[in-house]
Amino acid sequence: MTLSAERTLLIPILDALVPPSGDFPGAGTVALDHIVAAAAASPDLDALLCRALHAIGEAAGANRFASMSEDDRETVLRRVEESQPEAFAALVRHTYYGYYGHLTVITALGLDPTPVQPRGHQSDPLEPPDLARVTQRGPLYRPT
Amino acid sequence: MTTGERVDVLVIGAGASGAAVAWMLARAGIGVTCLEQGDWVDPKSYPHWQPDWELHRHTDWSPEPNVRRLPQDYPVNDAASAIAPLMFNAVGGSTIHWSAHFPRLRPSDFRVRSLDGVADDWPVDYAALEPFFDLNDRMMGVAGLAGDPAYPPKSPRQTPPIALDTLGVTMARGFDRLGWHWWPSDSAILTRDYDGRRACNNCGPCDLGCPTGAKASTDVTYWPKALALGARLVTQARVREITVGPDGRADGVLYHDRDGRVVEQKARAVVLAANGIGTPRLLLNSRSAHFPDGLANRSGLVGRNLMFHPYAIVRGVFDEPLGGHRGPTGCSIISQEFYETDLSRGFVRGYSFQVARGLSPISTATGGLGGNGVPWGREHRRAYDTRFDRTIGVAVIGEDLPEAHNRVDLDPGLTDSHGIPAPRVSYTLSDNSRRMLEHGAARASEALLAAGARAVDVNPLLRAGGWHLMGTARMGTDPATSVIDAEGRCHDVPNLYIVDGSTMVTSGGVNPTSTLQAVALYIADGMIRRRA
Repeated sequence: MTLSAERTLLIPILDALVPPSGDFPGAGTVALDHIVAAAAASPDLDALLCRALHAIGEAAGANRFASMSEDDRETVLRRVEESQPEAFAALVRHTYYGYYGHLTVITALGLDPTPVQPRGHQSDPLEPPDLARVTQRGPLYRPT
Repeated sequence: MTTGERVDVLVIGAGASGAAVAWMLARAGIGVTCLEQGDWVDPKSYPHWQPDWELHRHTDWSPEPNVRRLPQDYPVNDAASAIAPLMFNAVGGSTIHWSAHFPRLRPSDFRVRSLDGVADDWPVDYAALEPFFDLNDRMMGVAGLAGDPAYPPKSPRQTPPIALDTLGVTMARGFDRLGWHWWPSDSAILTRDYDGRRACNNCGPCDLGCPTGAKASTDVTYWPKALALGARLVTQARVREITVGPDGRADGVLYHDRDGRVVEQKARAVVLAANGIGTPRLLLNSRSAHFPDGLANRSGLVGRNLMFHPYAIVRGVFDEPLGGHRGPTGCSIISQEFYETDLSRGFVRGYSFQVARGLSPISTATGGLGGNGVPWGREHRRAYDTRFDRTIGVAVIGEDLPEAHNRVDLDPGLTDSHGIPAPRVSYTLSDNSRRMLEHGAARASEALLAAGARAVDVNPLLRAGGWHLMGTARMGTDPATSVIDAEGRCHDVPNLYIVDGSTMVTSGGVNPTSTLQAVALYIADGMIRRRA
């Protein structure tokens, strides 16, 4: 079993981890490619994520995960989070990497999705607080 | 095996301290060759030019060599360490990925035995190092504001301080409400053009390197000047052993060149600048009839007394956007209200607060250094939106006292890609450090709430926080209790010098780069004076 063969199962799982909401797509739409690619690049990660998927499949039992209600999906995932903490944490972490690294999501957050260079950022031209209060205390370092 | 021509001084490592020493020696007309296991980093290769820049923080630009696993990295067995060591192997070393927060140790840090009865005094003091702090500031270029009462007077900073922005001003007001010390950070990041380098454009992720050269990594500060003065820099050159002549003095090294061939390089003097883990590793790998327990290790102290700065991270959640993704990620405000010893707090010595910028999108989800991520599931969107651009992180940087059982030695099985034994790190957090971090986390929470946070979240010990590698070849006057003397020379091998964080007798409660570079320049100055 490799993760790339489990794309169909992954989509509803990712959507349960980060569901669609307003302008934000579900993770099944935007994080899938990243997770599959990351697993393909690392046999260790692939094995870890496959372990999580296997546990989810087992926890779902005769019911197919995709056909479950939202409540039942979360119940299954919480059970696996408890029984396979390392594998489940890796699944969540890579879901977040793929999701919040995706230009669609970055745009939905209100950020400029182009690279941070060469554009940089403008900072707020705020006046810093008065440092007189700090300096009036006199030297704070210990005499030696 | 090929043999190069004998050089005056051979420097191992092109990072913070090696670059400084190479420049200073070259300026004095001394022939310097530096061997660096990494290579130059092309500014165009930094992640900042790519839309998926943040993903690189978790892969090829991770600060953890065990995650990055680049050809120039070596593995570190850190299974027995509460803190994972971080480093970068390239021209510029770990200054490539540092945040460039640039405080100095304070005068009391050099006198902890005399003042507080713990650890040891340094054989040099703040006054002796002050000219070298100042010189190093000019070479690196420091943004800041003179007049911080937490320090003896400093010369004017090279450029004005980094703008505090909404986040910094918010936090400063919190400190003000409590009547606590704060000051705009000294940062080795330019806010104006200086010395041929451009000002920072506030892109944010300094920890992934600086593609504009505004941040002072030594590949853009010391090295261009050192090379112009005649220093020679050999990259992709991994030293496997320092060799010793019949007289017991260092006479050169054996290294693997970029094609993997073993090259013998002879030298009249050798300077080790390979960081607080790489330096003891190399010494312990340099066994000979003269030094069966490792070079310069008659004291048995090579690799011992490893100090990190243990970090706690406290993150406050605010109601309003803070613009925290703008500006240098690690640089905003420093507070040293709890720096000096007050035994009523339940621990000896003290700590600083480093107020950093906010979290980028992925780091917000995973929790960043704080580690407490946003929950998954149907609550995810709401929880994420309450945090994104609405958090301030306060790092508690505790002074780590030297303990002999915290150490670097050689792993019995693990090797790098050249088959050279890899380091193994054993480190436990002391009770004093734990109490210090608990105190710091409670005070940081207080400051965040005073600044208007509606909730705080505490990570009591940051595991992936081993940026600062110190103490493993400590300086001292007694050969039985130290590895190098007050001039940086190994007690056992007078033409072998150590100049990196290994030399530090104590850690202070601030980031060490400014201090270790000043110490490196001080040692180089001594080499020049003795030669004259």
